[in-house]
Amino acid sequence: MDDFFTYSVILGIFVATVKIATPLLIAALGELVAESSGILNLSLEGTMALGAFSGFLVASESGSLWLGLVGAAIGGALLGLLMAVMTATVKVNQVVAGLALNILGLGGAFFWYRSVYDAGGTIDLPSVERFRTAAVPLLSDIPAVGEILFEQHWLTYFALVMVPVTFVFLNRTKYGLELRSIGHNPEACDMRGVGIVSRQYFAVIFGGAMAGLGGAFLSLSEAGQFFPDIIAGRGWIALAIVIFGNWRASWILAGSLLFGFLEATQLALQASNVNLPYQLLLALPFVLTIVALVLNRSRSQVPLALTIPYHRGER
Amino acid sequence: MSERVDDTGGDERTDPADRNPLAMLFQGDGWRLERRLDTRPVHEMYATLAALVLTALIISLLVILVGVSPLDAFTSLYEGALGSREAGLETLVQATPLILTGLAAAVAFRSGVWNIGGEGQFFAGAIGTWWVYELLPGLPAPLLIIAMFVGAAVAGALWASAASVLLVRYGTNEILTTVMLNFVVLYILSWLLSGPWQSPKTPYFQTERMDEKTFLPRFIDDSRLHWGLLVALAAAVAVHLLTRRTGLGFELRAIGVNKRAAAYKGISVGRTVITVMAISGALAGIAGAGELLGLHHRLQLDIAEGLGFTGIIIALVARLHPAGVVVVAIAFGGLINGATNMQVGTGIPFALVQVIEGVALVFVLLAAVACRYRLKRTVRHG
Amino acid sequence: MDIAEAVAPGDPILVIDNVTKEFPGVVANDSVSIDVNRASIHCLLGENGAGKTTLADILYGVFRPDSGQIRLEGRPLDMASPGDAIAAGIGMVHQHFELVPPMSVIENVVIGTPARQWLDLTEARRRLEEFFADYDVEIDPDAEVGRLSVGEQQWVEIFKTLYFGVEILILDEPTAVLTPQGVTELFAILRRMRDDGLTIILITHKLKEVMDLSDRVTVLRRGRVVDTVATDDVDQLDLARMMVGRDVLLQVDKQRSEPGAPVLEADAIHVESDTGRGALKGLSLNVGAGEIVGVAGVSGNGQNALFDSVVGVRHPHSGTIRITGQDVTTAAPHKIARLGVACVPADRIAQGLMMDFSIKENLVLGNHRSSQFSRAGILNQSQIDAFAAESIESFEIKTPSADQVTRTLSGGNLQKIIMARELYGRPALILAHQPTRGLDIAASEYVRQRLVQERDRGAGVLLMSEDLDEIFQLADRIAVIFDGRIVAMIEPDATSLEEIGMHMAGAGAGAP
Repeated sequence: MDDFFTYSVILGIFVATVKIATPLLIAALGELVAESSGILNLSLEGTMALGAFSGFLVASESGSLWLGLVGAAIGGALLGLLMAVMTATVKVNQVVAGLALNILGLGGAFFWYRSVYDAGGTIDLPSVERFRTAAVPLLSDIPAVGEILFEQHWLTYFALVMVPVTFVFLNRTKYGLELRSIGHNPEACDMRGVGIVSRQYFAVIFGGAMAGLGGAFLSLSEAGQFFPDIIAGRGWIALAIVIFGNWRASWILAGSLLFGFLEATQLALQASNVNLPYQLLLALPFVLTIVALVLNRSRSQVPLALTIPYHRGER
Repeated sequence: MSERVDDTGGDERTDPADRNPLAMLFQGDGWRLERRLDTRPVHEMYATLAALVLTALIISLLVILVGVSPLDAFTSLYEGALGSREAGLETLVQATPLILTGLAAAVAFRSGVWNIGGEGQFFAGAIGTWWVYELLPGLPAPLLIIAMFVGAAVAGALWASAASVLLVRYGTNEILTTVMLNFVVLYILSWLLSGPWQSPKTPYFQTERMDEKTFLPRFIDDSRLHWGLLVALAAAVAVHLLTRRTGLGFELRAIGVNKRAAAYKGISVGRTVITVMAISGALAGIAGAGELLGLHHRLQLDIAEGLGFTGIIIALVARLHPAGVVVVAIAFGGLINGATNMQVGTGIPFALVQVIEGVALVFVLLAAVACRYRLKRTVRHG
Repeated sequence: MDIAEAVAPGDPILVIDNVTKEFPGVVANDSVSIDVNRASIHCLLGENGAGKTTLADILYGVFRPDSGQIRLEGRPLDMASPGDAIAAGIGMVHQHFELVPPMSVIENVVIGTPARQWLDLTEARRRLEEFFADYDVEIDPDAEVGRLSVGEQQWVEIFKTLYFGVEILILDEPTAVLTPQGVTELFAILRRMRDDGLTIILITHKLKEVMDLSDRVTVLRRGRVVDTVATDDVDQLDLARMMVGRDVLLQVDKQRSEPGAPVLEADAIHVESDTGRGALKGLSLNVGAGEIVGVAGVSGNGQNALFDSVVGVRHPHSGTIRITGQDVTTAAPHKIARLGVACVPADRIAQGLMMDFSIKENLVLGNHRSSQFSRAGILNQSQIDAFAAESIESFEIKTPSADQVTRTLSGGNLQKIIMARELYGRPALILAHQPTRGLDIAASEYVRQRLVQERDRGAGVLLMSEDLDEIFQLADRIAVIFDGRIVAMIEPDATSLEEIGMHMAGAGAGAP
């Protein structure tokens, strides 16, 4: 147990925390924007899977990881588009539509993967040269902090930058204000001549693209491969983080880091052979999310019209 | 006098043509899309059929893209699902747990309670089964089996109740809590299987094999089809009778339609939500017991394989009707069964099953919306 | 019309030309033609369901007319959404506010303005403060709208609309949420705005408001224009006759009541409310057997809380409620219902009915566990069918079958289903909250007659209504509710509308 609390192990945990938090944070921020417009997109898991695969496919075909990221964003955005059509236009129940597209995204990614890569009969998992960590000059020289924050992947920096960007967009721009207004009271916006459907499309497609990028972090930065269980529940965790963060970008960052920290700690525990039931650490974030749901209920920032479709003229 | 004019007064106003951007497509001269106030079962049936035809078309297209003839693919799929006596029986084996998880979802959704936790409640049921098995090893076989099913139902119901109690007490969204609880129970099971209940004989996360006296009887020697199917069918009949013929069923449906009005008419919404979640969780839990006692005979982590989530899709495709759940579950069982054959025979990946499920549900949902409208010829004047 | 034609003040600014709008089974507006003059106040008068709001919604681009044309300054308008109406210079304040409660006043105001993408609120703030100063309104621009009072919210709504620089302002029943004094203030300001050149279209069903305020008035009945007249040329009686289509003689035939033992005794009850509005603050009220007690008041003064706490869906945190002598302060709704309490809620669709259930299911809703309709938890279908057939006949519910989905029925028939269900088992106490809201005259009369019959049978009736005429017609005693308390208890013969109005505003004699 003593050698568990060494500097290097603890530093390692923190470095891993930020890394593990990355895909969660990217997907959760995208979901925050979607939910702000009043649309709950439950298909994050499937969207991340599709993004992870489409990113991997483009990267391995083109040889460019950066094009891979574009591919991932497009893959996620396409599923987001489908979600937007079903919820914003046709106004199908959002929960049901989300579940349908979730299974479609998961199934689509695996189906596509198998039909592209199994046809050749290869046994080895196909892989791409993955993103390497990119140290930020100077800042990465700061002891501890440098290693934790400034020797990470490009997508990690992107995720961290997107926290203030999302905040400013939602709270300091007119478009963001209108988006949030739609999430609270679409009728009021319609009666002000604010187009609802187009803004919901934007929000949900943006959310899909972000989830796709979150998935791409796993296939292009972390693994360099795609495999069926690559998302492993992270889409659901990202949904949990939005709630845990009470629909605020800063708290979503905190929530992602907490999830990352618990996961990193349990990995370190397993690696160090410390005899503790690591499953409890894994279950903890989910329990904490439920606790947060209960505790935040009185000052909940949940969009008031979340999941409620708007029909003009129906009151 | 015209009784209907007062409809335009307030709450009841709807303007179908403007309600839906899709309707704009039909706003040309002479035709417009109009909302139907009453949808008849016939419309729903046609719409569902149309959805399934469209699904088949999309899937054919996908299969062509992979380079296989749709005819070969569907033939192979059919052969695997129903092509032989063995295949047909195995389809029913696959359908057995799906009927139960489908019913679990249908019951809850009918009441407007979004129990997405079928998967977790399935595992809770399996844990409950094993727990009773360890607790009462001396019981004679029939009693023990019954006790294990009861244990599974109680465990599933309790696990579901964690979400419903929070919902009733604190108003926490049950969609999110049930999803969270899916993960929690999985980690609990993982812990149980890595320690307290782990078989000493293997390094794997699994228990010992169960005593043969706990095995559910099989119908025929050469098929895995077990009595769990009878349990599932009985559950479907019970759910149908419950919702249609009883006072409790009336209340279950009532809170699904209008919780506020139900409360004003003396129906305790909280108590009904807790009841319906318990019923739903129990059904999923029973599915867990059936799989454990009928097929696996030992507790391990991969006994569900998405059965809870597939149950949700089944319930929705079946439009929440118990009989429909049975039909769709058997169809999906055949799909799973046939897809294995298809993968071997034509090289089409097994994951096509999930794609089919997703596409089918998307079209069924769209069809459900579509049959609320009709095209009407309008006479333009002025 | 020739676009180049000169338009002098007083000329029509807005022309509604032969507009027809149909909903499934209903012609909401039937060949409606109206000219609205520049810088005038034009009232649209009609009963609930006359098609006023639909017409206003067409003017505001919410609905597109099936046929006919709207012309503004001679130019035809083809509006697909309210955005087009705003761009054309038409603004509307809806009957229920279109606000975003969690956001600030200023944020609510700027939503939809074609401004720069970065939120620059200084200009909006300057204009907002100027406007509020101009009209002596004190509202903090940074306050959360959800925390404002109803009156303050209405100011935000009006300013929000004017912020766009509209030429035509449509107000849909703006006085429903105001006290008589608040109405006077609002009207003074509307007159000022008219004198400044604004054209105002006011929708109302209150004759007095038309007479007070308008320059011209159009009366609508069942979707058709009865006539458009200069207000100076008519009196209230003329308008009433036009509105109803016959001489108005709405006296319900009823004898004096002989109240018996109390069936409802509410003693100093306090009920909290989530929004902070509409709480009960020590309300006391008695209803005896065989009498109708009318509760008059501006909505939002605790009517909902009173209704809910007697039904049992909300519980007072202090005080007691007794029904037929039994303490039911914290009893569950089904226990209260068993004592013979019937409830006719204000919002039929949201609180009273299962729109996706069949008619017969709605007819037994709440009574479905009674010994007549179920045995050992199993529903008795033949009894339910028999009761449904009987109710449909005796309450004259117009439907092809008892198995019809309730959604397909009209408002009047919906209310009859509720009445049939609630009067089952001869209730001792009947709670009726806005029982005739949105009903046409015939259906309203039917409901009122039924309530009087029940009273004569010996039931106690608690009637809550915003329609003072209805209260005066039916009530044996009038209780005025203000700010969560009964501030006056008056005999209808011994009072006047004005006195009630003063009490409703909390300004009656002896009020705190």
